[in-house]
Amino acid sequence: MNPPGSLGVLEEKEEEHLATPVLGPSIHSDNPQERIQARRLRIAARLEARRREALGEYLDGKESEEDQSKSYKQKEESRLKLAKLLLCGTELVTNIQVAADIREIHRRVEEEEIKRQRLEKLENEVKTSQDKFEEITMKWEEGKQKRIPQELWEMLNAQQVHCAGLIEDKNKLISELQQELKAKDDQYVKDLKKQSGDICLLLERMEEQVKNVMKTFRQELQHIEKAFEVEREELLTNNKKKWEQALQAHNAKELEYLMNRIKKVEDHEKQLNKQRIWDCEEYNTIKIKLEQDVQILEQQLQQMKATYQLNQEKLEYNFQVLKKRDEESTVIKSQQKRKINCLHDVLNNLRSKYNKQVKQFQEENQSLTSDYKRLVMQFKEMQKAMRHFALIDDKQFREIWLMNEEEVKDLISRAFDVDRIIHTHHLGLPWTAPDFWFLKNVGPISQQQQKSATQILEEVLMEAEEEGAEEAASEPESYLDLPKQVSAKTTRKILMLLCDESGFLVERKLLSLLLPLDKSECYLLKLDAIFSALGIESEDDLYKLVNFFLKYQAHHSPPSQINPWHLSPLQERTSLVSPLEKLDPQGEKEGSLVDREPQEKQPPPSPQLIHPNDVLKILEAFVTGLRKPRDFRAPVKLLKVVRDDSKDSAYWKALTTVIPATTLNLWDALYTALEKYHLVLTQRAELLIENSSLERQNTELQQLLQQYLDSKINSELQVPPTEVFRVPTK
Amino acid sequence: MEETQITPSLSVRSWSSISTQDQSSISTQDQSSTAGQASSTGPQPSKPSVIPPPVKSKGPSSGAGVRRMRRIIAEDAEWSVAIVPLLTELCIQHIVKNFQNNPILKQLPQSIRKKVLNHLSPDLPLAVTANLIEDENYWRRCCTQRWPVCHVDEHGGSWKRMFFELHLENLLKHFIPSTTDPEVILNLLPLCRNYVHTIRVDQFLPPVQLPPPLRGGDQSDSGSEGEMEEPATDHYQLGDLVAGLSHLEELDLVYGVKDCGMNFEWNLFLFTYRDCHSLAAAVKACHTLKIFRLTRSKVDDDKARILICSLLDHAALEELDLSHNLIGDRGARAAAKLLGHSRLRVLNLANNQVRAPGAQSLAHALAHNSDLVSLNLRLNCIEDEGGQALAHALQTNKCLTTLHLGGNELSEPTATLLSQVLSINTTLTSINLSCNRIGPDGGKQLLEGMSDNKTLLEFDLRLSDIAQESEYLIGQALCANREAARQRALSPSHFMSPATAKGPENPAG
Repeated sequence: MNPPGSLGVLEEKEEEHLATPVLGPSIHSDNPQERIQARRLRIAARLEARRREALGEYLDGKESEEDQSKSYKQKEESRLKLAKLLLCGTELVTNIQVAADIREIHRRVEEEEIKRQRLEKLENEVKTSQDKFEEITMKWEEGKQKRIPQELWEMLNAQQVHCAGLIEDKNKLISELQQELKAKDDQYVKDLKKQSGDICLLLERMEEQVKNVMKTFRQELQHIEKAFEVEREELLTNNKKKWEQALQAHNAKELEYLMNRIKKVEDHEKQLNKQRIWDCEEYNTIKIKLEQDVQILEQQLQQMKATYQLNQEKLEYNFQVLKKRDEESTVIKSQQKRKINCLHDVLNNLRSKYNKQVKQFQEENQSLTSDYKRLVMQFKEMQKAMRHFALIDDKQFREIWLMNEEEVKDLISRAFDVDRIIHTHHLGLPWTAPDFWFLKNVGPISQQQQKSATQILEEVLMEAEEEGAEEAASEPESYLDLPKQVSAKTTRKILMLLCDESGFLVERKLLSLLLPLDKSECYLLKLDAIFSALGIESEDDLYKLVNFFLKYQAHHSPPSQINPWHLSPLQERTSLVSPLEKLDPQGEKEGSLVDREPQEKQPPPSPQLIHPNDVLKILEAFVTGLRKPRDFRAPVKLLKVVRDDSKDSAYWKALTTVIPATTLNLWDALYTALEKYHLVLTQRAELLIENSSLERQNTELQQLLQQYLDSKINSELQVPPTEVFRVPTK
Repeated sequence: MEETQITPSLSVRSWSSISTQDQSSISTQDQSSTAGQASSTGPQPSKPSVIPPPVKSKGPSSGAGVRRMRRIIAEDAEWSVAIVPLLTELCIQHIVKNFQNNPILKQLPQSIRKKVLNHLSPDLPLAVTANLIEDENYWRRCCTQRWPVCHVDEHGGSWKRMFFELHLENLLKHFIPSTTDPEVILNLLPLCRNYVHTIRVDQFLPPVQLPPPLRGGDQSDSGSEGEMEEPATDHYQLGDLVAGLSHLEELDLVYGVKDCGMNFEWNLFLFTYRDCHSLAAAVKACHTLKIFRLTRSKVDDDKARILICSLLDHAALEELDLSHNLIGDRGARAAAKLLGHSRLRVLNLANNQVRAPGAQSLAHALAHNSDLVSLNLRLNCIEDEGGQALAHALQTNKCLTTLHLGGNELSEPTATLLSQVLSINTTLTSINLSCNRIGPDGGKQLLEGMSDNKTLLEFDLRLSDIAQESEYLIGQALCANREAARQRALSPSHFMSPATAKGPENPAG
């Protein structure tokens, strides 16, 4: 009925044509994968078709038609033809319906018109009849008023006539309507007949159409089939031609190959013959040679046989000998076996002994190790004691030194006094006091021994251990002079922190080596490595580091944490760091230490306030700070190794030679001169004494003389003596 | 497989039973040979009767040795083990015979089930077979036995569905209210509820009124006093049935009587208000309904409104066919409202009494609708006013493909507007303007409109007073369009159109 359907049929047909070459998987297969594949193939085929169309076929139809061959053309032709046929057929069939429709419409229009007319007519009729009716009813009223029967009768008659007229009108109308109805009935019957005729016609046409369509379809199918057949035949003939051509070519080539082959075979045969002759000759020569060889070899064989016999005899003899030897050896073997058994016994004994001894030695070893441990302990104690004694020795040494030095200084001062007296008094020269370095020296000449950083470390750690062992026993006279202002604990903690945080400064090899070691040793070695990396070598550096840490912490810690204790060590430090303090006698320092000890004990350990994350920053700051002052200090350190006595003797010798030799010479000369002078003076003294005695005698004598002179005798005398001599002047 | 396993043992047994009659023992060699023979002849139709061994073999068996006798039996050309029916065959026969009382099917192996189904009688009660048998062959036999012409395609290609649909239709056709027991249909309901998708009934019998026909045989002309009989002419109420069918998709009803002959009465064709209300309720309750047809049933405006009101916002309804009724403008307005409140795709109001106002309201709904694909207003009287309104609506509508305006007294103004629509619209594929008075000028304008259109495939302008030349040219344009559409369907949109490519296969097949 509808053209699209037929078109669809055609399409489907074409689709079938398209689908037939694909004899692969089917869409209706049971296997889902096969179905999927089939769909894929279908899609691919469609895509392909589309692309082809897009490429050219659709654009230039003529070419494609030529390309598409007869079958395609035929297909298109029949498709168009069939479409047209179907369209025409449906139109033909539906024409009846359309005609019926339009008839119906016309009928409806007419009907409407007639209906309208009828209604109008009816309405008119109703109006007129109503008027008449009203007239009649009016007359009834009139009739009621009539009193004369004659009139009444007349009127009644008239009324009857009127009513009859009315009824007649109505009847007329009814009959008209009935006639109309009848006509309509007739019309209806006619219409029915007409419609049945239409339906018959429709059926006829449909059948005809179906037949027609079937026929044409069949025809077209035949045409298409024919076209396909023709095309196939053409293809076949073409292919056959091609095939034959190819076959001929193939045959020709085959022939050629055959000829070539025959030629080659002949060549090869010739060559083979040549080869065969040559081989024969060679074979003969070789045969002769070989025969000769065989003869030689036979001779040799004879010889060999002779030697063989000889050898056989020899070997038999040897065999006998060996047999005997074998017997002997069996005997020996048994003996040896016995021996081996004995030796096994011995070995077992020895083994048991050995085991015993091993046990013994283990025990011994254990006892020895315990001894060793004890000894080590003792050694440590000894060391401690030694250190203690060394300290005491040091002290004593210092005291003795000071005492001697005092004496010497006294002597020197006396010598200087003497010298000064000599110079000023005797020689009349100005005296200048000699200015020697040793004169100002007090105490032992060895400078404060600079310990290396590692040593201090060791000490710190050792002390820490000891403290761990006996915490209560606080050693007031800590031989460690390091914690001037920082307690050993603090230092230790800082160092531990440093060790933990700056592990990257330690070499990896070292770390692996350190693994089996003790914890404290491990720390020690690590710190050593870290210090060497940082360039910290001397004790001072270490202190600096520790102080730096504390300072840093003090500066960077929040103000609430800078309590009095934090400040006090700082203040102390500033006062204490002066070099004088460093040279202070031991006693004073000890005192200060003792004083400080309790102060430090009270506050909590400070290093905990240093956050591990800050350590690196501090270190960085410290290292940059350390670089500058460090450089020229390095050589100094080398000199201070051990306490050297060489200078002592020099010192003391120098003390003895405070007065130089020239002065001594001077003094000697002076001495002799003075002695001489003394002698002279003594002589003069004696002389003076003599003189004085003489004077006294003189005076005494004078007195006596005087006496004598003054005496009355003299006066009595005629010639006084006074006149004789003159009285000496007094 | 099972058969081959069973057959040898069976044959052996039967053979041995026979041979014991002959007082002979059988060597294994002979057994195997006969077994082979039996299996080779196994599939032969078995006969119920056991044929006694031939007479020939009896003579030598008494005198001669065992061996010779056996040989004679083996060589006997007439003798065959295959004549003995197989046990499976017997069993199958028994099952078939007693299927009504003891339906065994699901437990059987596949091959035997097939045999049983082949032998089952189509006359078995539906209560036994309906929910048990799925086999199409069985139902095919049932159908062909009952109905000479079977169009299985009209029932979704399923014979079973076809059987039940036709069966139900038959029952409904011959149901006489208040005389036929309604249980007849309701009893069938549990059996057919899963298989019936479509109900097509083209007649509903009215209740029998015994007194009127007896007396009124003479008074048939004056018997149309509807008021008295109106309540009595209600037809079968579909409500229960429709509610019971879970897959019902199509309902095609005609309230009328066929083949009434000379017993014609007007009230045979009455579609009463009660019918209408019950039908409306049934349709509303059926949520699977897709197609609803109610034709040739004298549905007037009020009834149409009742029905359409019940269809508003129906979830599944796609097609509504109210052709050949008495629907006027009000009914058309209701239909227009339905367009806005459902997903209707096809609307058929052919041969009704829709006039210009109704068409205008339909056009208004159409302008804003995006579901309707096909609209049929054949043999109405919408005239130019309605036609123009529809043409205006088509300027905005983007989904209508088929429009039938045949026999609507349209003339030139509508044609002018339609020609404008043709140049704009790209969805319309089929327009029917036959039996209108478009006139030669209108034809020319339509031709102009066609020259810009590339999608229209059908344009029926028969008997519309158009000049032959323009009709021919329009036909040419349509041909070109059809060719283009075919090319399009073939090549470019394969991914879109497997359905369209496949579509034609079904009717062809």
